[in-house]
Amino acid sequence: MKIIKSIGSAFVISSLLLGSALAGEVKSIAILTPEEGTDYGWNQQGIDAAKAAGEAAGVEVVVAQGLGYGDVRPTLRELASDGASLLIAHASGYNTAAPEIAKEMNVPVAIVDTPNGLEKGLVADYTLSGHEGAYLAGRLAAKMSRSKTVGVVVSGEPPSWNSQSGAFAQGVKAENPDVKIIYAVIGPAAYSDAAGGKRVTESVIASGADIIFGQGNGSSFGMLQAVETTKAADGGKVYFIDVIGDKSPIDKGFLLSSVVWNIEPVYAAMIADIKNDTFGTKHYAIGLKDNSVELLKTPAIPDDVWSQIEALREDIVSGKIKVEPVYDATAVRALMTSVAQ
Amino acid sequence: MNGLFSEVFLSALLFGAVTAAVPLLLAGLGEQMSEKAGVLNIGIEGMMLAGAYLGFVGAFYSESLWLGFLTGAAGGAAVAALMALLCVRLGLNQIVIGIALTLGLEGLTALLHHFQFSRSYPRLPAADPTVIPLLADIPVIGPAFFRHHLLVYLAVLLVVVMSYLYRRTQLGLNLQAAGDKPAALDVAGIDVIRTRTIAVLTTGALAGLGGAYLANVGAGLFIPFITNGAGFLGIVLAMLARGRPVWVLFGALLFGACLSLTTAMQVAGINIPTDVIQMLPFLAVMIMLVLFGRQASLPAALGIPYERGAR
Repeated sequence: MKIIKSIGSAFVISSLLLGSALAGEVKSIAILTPEEGTDYGWNQQGIDAAKAAGEAAGVEVVVAQGLGYGDVRPTLRELASDGASLLIAHASGYNTAAPEIAKEMNVPVAIVDTPNGLEKGLVADYTLSGHEGAYLAGRLAAKMSRSKTVGVVVSGEPPSWNSQSGAFAQGVKAENPDVKIIYAVIGPAAYSDAAGGKRVTESVIASGADIIFGQGNGSSFGMLQAVETTKAADGGKVYFIDVIGDKSPIDKGFLLSSVVWNIEPVYAAMIADIKNDTFGTKHYAIGLKDNSVELLKTPAIPDDVWSQIEALREDIVSGKIKVEPVYDATAVRALMTSVAQ
Repeated sequence: MNGLFSEVFLSALLFGAVTAAVPLLLAGLGEQMSEKAGVLNIGIEGMMLAGAYLGFVGAFYSESLWLGFLTGAAGGAAVAALMALLCVRLGLNQIVIGIALTLGLEGLTALLHHFQFSRSYPRLPAADPTVIPLLADIPVIGPAFFRHHLLVYLAVLLVVVMSYLYRRTQLGLNLQAAGDKPAALDVAGIDVIRTRTIAVLTTGALAGLGGAYLANVGAGLFIPFITNGAGFLGIVLAMLARGRPVWVLFGALLFGACLSLTTAMQVAGINIPTDVIQMLPFLAVMIMLVLFGRQASLPAALGIPYERGAR
């Protein structure tokens, strides 16, 4: 009995010590990204948000970028050893390694595309979705398409992108059910396949699309290149709608819009959760309401069309229009015209 | 098929298949020569990356695609020179060096891109096609096969040149002997090291050219990791081709066609999981392996450094 009591006491004390080590104090956070933080997209938005959240909280931010899509365990271990209080594993490809290292090193990690992977104090998931913005993008595309055919090109089917593809399709259908939606995936994980992005986008344009909604990290530059160098069936311009980042600085006049994400509130909430010992207990979200999701206004959008889009935005914020995210790839494909009914 | 399969769309699909096949063809032909001479060139992915980066830099600053192809080929050859020094001259392990070169070039080209282009992401204008008279006017087939950049036709012509080289020339025999029986070649008075070095340098130049085509024409830009495993596919094609350049051509076209087929199936609305559709190109390679791989005869001294007098 004495032995059991001793073991019990030791367990309670070590749990408290471990808990206090994990909770409360946040001195530095680290973010790991597969590509450089200059991609006007997922990687850049992640790094910029981590820096902003860290600055606001008075926390040092360590950035490990351009790590590729392979094994990041050594980098995670090194950052944990260096004293990071939170490791943000900013790629769906890291969501196996990061929880392992969280347990091994007793350091909280944040992962993506794993909503069921929450573990109190250790693992938080931030599977974000800009579906409300993507819905608006769909309405915009349907309003502006001359051929009444739009394309969705993606370099993979992670949940975040599925929900945006699905919401885009819902937006198109809500605006004009007669508009065709051509859906094409470049490859299972073709995030850096710029040549594939260009090839597939050219094919989708050849099938009649004059507006492309593209999601692709590095491969999205290939999509942009295809849009810039290929004419629509009527000989006119093909426009591109981007996601997550803002490619305006490198646009040559073909960027119609972008569903821009601001991840700073999410990372700020994570830091607060670590301090409050609630890390790993809830899901995080972004949306139109707090402007963490916005549809980019470019000169290519006529003012009257933009006014209509702004009105639709208000309807979503007020709850008049409800946009439900669809994360499952099969359900998303079923929303596309190109999929046989 | 919901009316989407217009003539323009079919042409675009076939055009895309050819565009995707050319880098594989050039890399495969290069690897084939290296393997014939007894050097297993795992570093071909790195050579393609070097070619893609330097090819893009050359084309972007000179505004000439041809200069870009030249700098790309030179970049691939420069990496190959390092491989020749370490593996052919110094006899280090070809697989280890090949992997190290690939990883090193992935990092180096990503770093150079970061400093040079990561805030501007420059793109090249569309490549001017060489239109083959009469043939280019054939419906579907014409725009798909006879309106490509001149390099595409030269790459196909290279298949004929390579076949002639291997079958009809002394250099071809020397390359074969350097891979099968290097000691016999040495006894015949031919320098094995020199023969293998020529093969490795040619491999690098062809891989670099393939990388430059991929960046300058296939994508119209350079981003880190742009080759996306094309070099490794080149190795597979070279091994399956059993020393015949024309088989590399067929393999590359088959792979490119499968890639386009995956797009076609999606656009056609084939309602099966995309992952299954995306397996097609790789499934085709596996079927080729099962059908032909068992008969593939690789050079007896492949991967073994040559040292005069060693037993």
